[in-house]
Amino acid sequence: MSQQAPAPLAVGDRVGPGEGTGTEPRARGRRWDRAAVADRLFLLPVGVVFVVLFLIPVIRSGWWSLTNYNGYTPDYDFVGLANYGRLFSDTAMVSGFVFTLLYTVATTLVVTCLAIPLAVVLNRKFIGRNFVRSAFFFPAIPSIAVLGLVWGFILSPLGSGVINRVIETFGGASVPWLSTPGLARFSVILVGVWSQVGWHAILYLAYLQAIPEELTEVAIIDGANGRQRFFHITLPMLAPAMTVSQLLLLTGGLKVYDLPVTLTGGGPGYSTFTLTQAIIQRGIAQSEFGQASALAVVFMLVIGLIVAAQLAVARRLERRIQ
Amino acid sequence: MNKSRHVLTSLVMVPLAALVAVPFYYIVVNTFKTHQETATSPLALPSGLRLDNYVEVFETLPVLQNLLNTVIVTAASVTTMLLIGAMGAFGMIIRSTRFNTWFGALMVLAFLVPFQATLLPLYRMLVTARLVDTLQGLVVLYATGAIFCYFLILGYMRTVPTEIIEAARLDGAGPLRIFWNVVMPLIRPILITVGVFQTMWVWNDFIIPNVFISSTGNRTLVLLVYSAVGQFSVNWPMFMTLTVIVLIPMVIFFVTMQRFIVSGLVAGGVKG
Repeated sequence: MSQQAPAPLAVGDRVGPGEGTGTEPRARGRRWDRAAVADRLFLLPVGVVFVVLFLIPVIRSGWWSLTNYNGYTPDYDFVGLANYGRLFSDTAMVSGFVFTLLYTVATTLVVTCLAIPLAVVLNRKFIGRNFVRSAFFFPAIPSIAVLGLVWGFILSPLGSGVINRVIETFGGASVPWLSTPGLARFSVILVGVWSQVGWHAILYLAYLQAIPEELTEVAIIDGANGRQRFFHITLPMLAPAMTVSQLLLLTGGLKVYDLPVTLTGGGPGYSTFTLTQAIIQRGIAQSEFGQASALAVVFMLVIGLIVAAQLAVARRLERRIQ
Repeated sequence: MNKSRHVLTSLVMVPLAALVAVPFYYIVVNTFKTHQETATSPLALPSGLRLDNYVEVFETLPVLQNLLNTVIVTAASVTTMLLIGAMGAFGMIIRSTRFNTWFGALMVLAFLVPFQATLLPLYRMLVTARLVDTLQGLVVLYATGAIFCYFLILGYMRTVPTEIIEAARLDGAGPLRIFWNVVMPLIRPILITVGVFQTMWVWNDFIIPNVFISSTGNRTLVLLVYSAVGQFSVNWPMFMTLTVIVLIPMVIFFVTMQRFIVSGLVAGGVKG
């Protein structure tokens, strides 16, 4: 790694006339330039992290996905693309794929549609504003796994289930929030939105506060009403914030694991099962490293594609607006 | 007219915010109740300031041990990743060679790889190194966060005037000295911001401890709560008490570090 071309543009070399008088000959200096070696040593730790914790694991995932490796026995066979072919006939994996996508799309849409208006309101002056800001932001602070467990109690059909207790006192029937597939999916998404909407609203708020006031003032003088100002000034100015927020929501959604595991455990059946859970279950619990690696590789490619597509679309939109 | 609109906003937003905060109210009030009280009136205020639940949680569960584990893992991991990230960023700005350009491009690739794609090989690696179910193993895994630190710190370091580094060089300071005594103090704001983010990540993380830790003595707090659900499935006040105990340190940390988080949101956003 250290055998590289000399550093023509390096900061350390641009020190001016004073330095060039000592060990000038460059050919020899290259070998003896201890400073250059020392400078490059700073890249070593992060390079080790890259190689050991990213590069090698990704290559091994790719290789295992083509084999029937079980995680223990050293001799295993090359099976070609068989693991990939089986991905789509495996109920757990297909369900994991479906719910992960549903969760990602739903949370991204709902959080964006709620966070932007919320940010606009939080930007106004009103009594109790600090309380409202804190209350919405607060769910972002604790571990989402712990919050998932707490919501498990809140949504429970048993005595601890506050929501059902409230419904019952008003004469309604207890709702099986976590034990029917449709409602369980809804509940996971609901808690996901609840825990993120305030955080994203604060992100938008930070960008809103950067909008120059003159812009709004001029618009008011020109006779623009509230809705026109929102769609023609606020929303375009929020475009960069939307890129960041949606990127976080999309990648966070695709990687979701903590919330479904703690709230529903992936059930009932496989209705709230996620891709990450599928990788862990197949790989570590059931020792099907080959099969699980194939899923991991597909997962990585899907994330890469979605991130690239989102960035491309966002960039085009931002350009059109400006 | 403006005034009445403010009142209207308050009338809508304050109850809405209260609704959002109800789960937290629910957790906290129930820690002071007996099991029966919770069952009959889950949302009512407690009849008195009963602290029995707190005493019992500390007596029946290794809360302090697991708190200590979490503190050790968080401190060691965050220090490691900040140091690695800052060193890498310094190595990138101190020389702009073709090697560095190439190196930087590789780092972007690492940024795109989700943890899930490396999980199984990392698991095998830790098994081989006998680090599964150890706190050291967790620190090794959290070192992956160094890449994120590297990117945020690099963005900030580029704003440090190169003249300062050149001047230190002329004064005869070696690279290590420049890094530690000149650059590190200059980049303190970003170190704090990134440190706060990574502390919240490690402290709150569930997936890594859940996959890699199996023995009670090595649990982190989040894992303790997860495993206690079964134990307290019929005794919710106890579960709520444990939750409150676990949430308190993070809330205190957040409140003291709040201002760095919002500034970090914007900084991270601007740099994409």
